[in-house]
Amino acid sequence: MRIIVGMKWVPGTTSVRIDPKTGTLIREGVPSIVNPHDMPAIELALQLKDAYGGEVIALTMSPPPAIRGLEYLIGMGVDRAILVSDRVYAGADTLATSYVLAKAIEKIDKEIGKVDLVVFGQETIDSSTAHIGAQTASWLDWPYIYYAHSAKLIDNNKILVERVLENAIEDWEVDLPAVIATHMKALKPRPVRLLNKIRYKVEKPLTTWTNNELKLDPRCTGLKGSPTIVAKTVDVPEVPRKKVIYTPKDGEDAAKWLIKTLMEDEKASKALIKALKEGGGK
Amino acid sequence: MSSAKSDCNVCPEWDCQNLNDFKNVWVVGEVDENGLSEPSLQMLTPANKIATKLNTKIVGLLVGHNVKKYAKEFIEYGADEVIVLDDERLSMYSPHIYARTIAELAKKYKPAVIFISATMKGRELGPYVANTLRAGITADCTDFDVDEKTKDVLLIRPPFGAVLLAYIKTPTRRPQIGTARPNVFKLPPRDPNRKGEIIEESIDYIPQPKARLVSRKTLAVNEVPIEKAELIVSGGKGLGNIEGFKLLEELASKMNAAVAGSRKAVDMGWIPHEKQVGQTGKSVKPILYLAIGISGAAQHMFGIREAEVVVAINNDPSAPIFSQADYGIVGDYKQIIPALIKEIESLKKQLKGD
Ligand SMILES: Cc1cc2nc3c(=O)[nH]c(=O)nc-3n(C[C@H](O)[C@H](O)[C@H](O)COP(=O)(O)OP(=O)(O)OC[C@H]3O[C@@H](n4cnc5c(N)ncnc54)[C@H](O)[C@@H]3O)c2cc1C
Ligand SMILES: Nc1ncnc2c1ncn2[C@@H]1O[C@H](COP(=O)(O)O)[C@@H](O)[C@H]1O
Repeated sequence: MRIIVGMKWVPGTTSVRIDPKTGTLIREGVPSIVNPHDMPAIELALQLKDAYGGEVIALTMSPPPAIRGLEYLIGMGVDRAILVSDRVYAGADTLATSYVLAKAIEKIDKEIGKVDLVVFGQETIDSSTAHIGAQTASWLDWPYIYYAHSAKLIDNNKILVERVLENAIEDWEVDLPAVIATHMKALKPRPVRLLNKIRYKVEKPLTTWTNNELKLDPRCTGLKGSPTIVAKTVDVPEVPRKKVIYTPKDGEDAAKWLIKTLMEDEKASKALIKALKEGGGK
Repeated sequence: MSSAKSDCNVCPEWDCQNLNDFKNVWVVGEVDENGLSEPSLQMLTPANKIATKLNTKIVGLLVGHNVKKYAKEFIEYGADEVIVLDDERLSMYSPHIYARTIAELAKKYKPAVIFISATMKGRELGPYVANTLRAGITADCTDFDVDEKTKDVLLIRPPFGAVLLAYIKTPTRRPQIGTARPNVFKLPPRDPNRKGEIIEESIDYIPQPKARLVSRKTLAVNEVPIEKAELIVSGGKGLGNIEGFKLLEELASKMNAAVAGSRKAVDMGWIPHEKQVGQTGKSVKPILYLAIGISGAAQHMFGIREAEVVVAINNDPSAPIFSQADYGIVGDYKQIIPALIKEIESLKKQLKGD
């Protein structure tokens, strides 16, 4: 099987800072990481390769620093990696991003070899739209299944995908080629191995494609190819809270203070009394 | 609106549009074995706000097999009109087939806006529909509005970090597509006397699905989802271990409250993902939210913006949650929860004695 995995190189922090002058996020000085939700996708692709042979190709559309992320994936066992990078791709929303990715996948299919499966992560931590998988599938006119937990080959041209939704577990038979996206809790990723790192140093299995190679109409990429624009950003307004803080003597004191305080609070007391009365004999 | 807004020097993969041709607000109805899903009906609430501001109609969309029977319900909850495509070939949901079919209908009727509930299926289907139409889509919106000058819909969502809200618009393309997570909007009241038109559609060509459901086990969901609970007891990393969480669950059961947790509690495996509160979990709106061993990260607090009363128990006086809570107790949960369980029990006795 030839499997492509999508990867995004994202700011790896939970404590974002805002530029007080511009009101935008400060990304400088924030170290980047492989989008954590892409890890189960990479693991699934590698497991399929372990089981059925073939190759796994990592793909990202990004400015060049994402090469560090691709190196990491090669360290995990991905066979080769492609960075798609060009100024005319900058400022893309998900429609324009998925367009470039779909065109890169078509080029891989034509020039490197037939692509059977594309695996994406559940969502990115910096934009978390969960769009790219479905949109890429739509450009390619391939089927798409989301929230995959596992996949196995059932024929040479079909896979069986198990997925878990809010209220059901489903098995899907999916014709190849196809696009799937994994659930963030689907699989535990394998660690980077020294052997793979050495192979990377020797073989350098990493290619960069610019628009010289992809030859896309610039009206379909970057800002021009993006129907959505950010009109403005505003601070999330602060929720007014009472901020009464109590430092108790001990647990009992804390519990007594809390119950008394809640019973004096009009809303909280109503809800609490209602719940305790309904609560039966528990 | 002037027709100057239509622009034909666009990506050749797109069609050339005249924005004035696009009218109405669509709500996509999701149907499963339990009927028309509540999350899809909830989307009638923002649809009503936007349709009023744009002075257009709300149109419900029902695509599938044996779905016509839900048209009336759609209208009673607020749709002015329902387009029904009831076709045996659609008896089995398959994402790309449904997406293509919905996109075909949208090409014919040209809605200005499409709202889709971001259930797990909606998150799969929505972007496929949008892309088939080469339209913009904005995921997981928490509010919608209209730009008074241009009449563009503003799709409002929390981006990275949950500290900034982005107002997104698609000024040069239609339809404008947005999704919102279940229970972000309230179910509108049902009015059995509401009347509306039902339009029956048909479609000639439906391709064979390239993905087929071969088995489905429904999971019994007998608990109240946390988004609907009035009382929530929520635990974080500070509980330290699974025993800590068991203690929390005991408190919750005494209080008749739902149990939830922070992302770190989910990562530790103490609680399932569907009970995670926050930006990448659920937004909840209880009357009382008890946060225990939770530090108060922006991504977590984003999920409890609409909680009426927030209580925090944390042993670190400098924990950020204290400046975002109504009542805070500085202390170790291991001492406080057992005492609280006793107090709750005696309060319960008092109340029952009344
Ligand atoms: C893109 C993105 C999305 C995210 N989405 C979410 C989300 O949806 N929901 C979410 O919750 N997080 C989310 N996070 C993670 C978030 O940033 C925080 O890491 C997380 O909320 C912290 O969880 P916590 O408060 O349980 O743990 P911590 O931050 O580790 O806090 C533990 C707290 O417990 C206290 N404590 C320790 N011992 C005791 C004790 N004995 N008694 C009382 N208190 C004690 C400590 O003082 C501390 O304040 C997201 C992060 C990112 C980057
Ligand atoms: N620029 C990109 N290059 C390659 N893959 C991407 C890119 N952006 C997103 N993806 C993939 O698409 C998934 C969903 O991303 P998103 O729609 O941004 O939430 C991610 O988990 C990645 O696997």
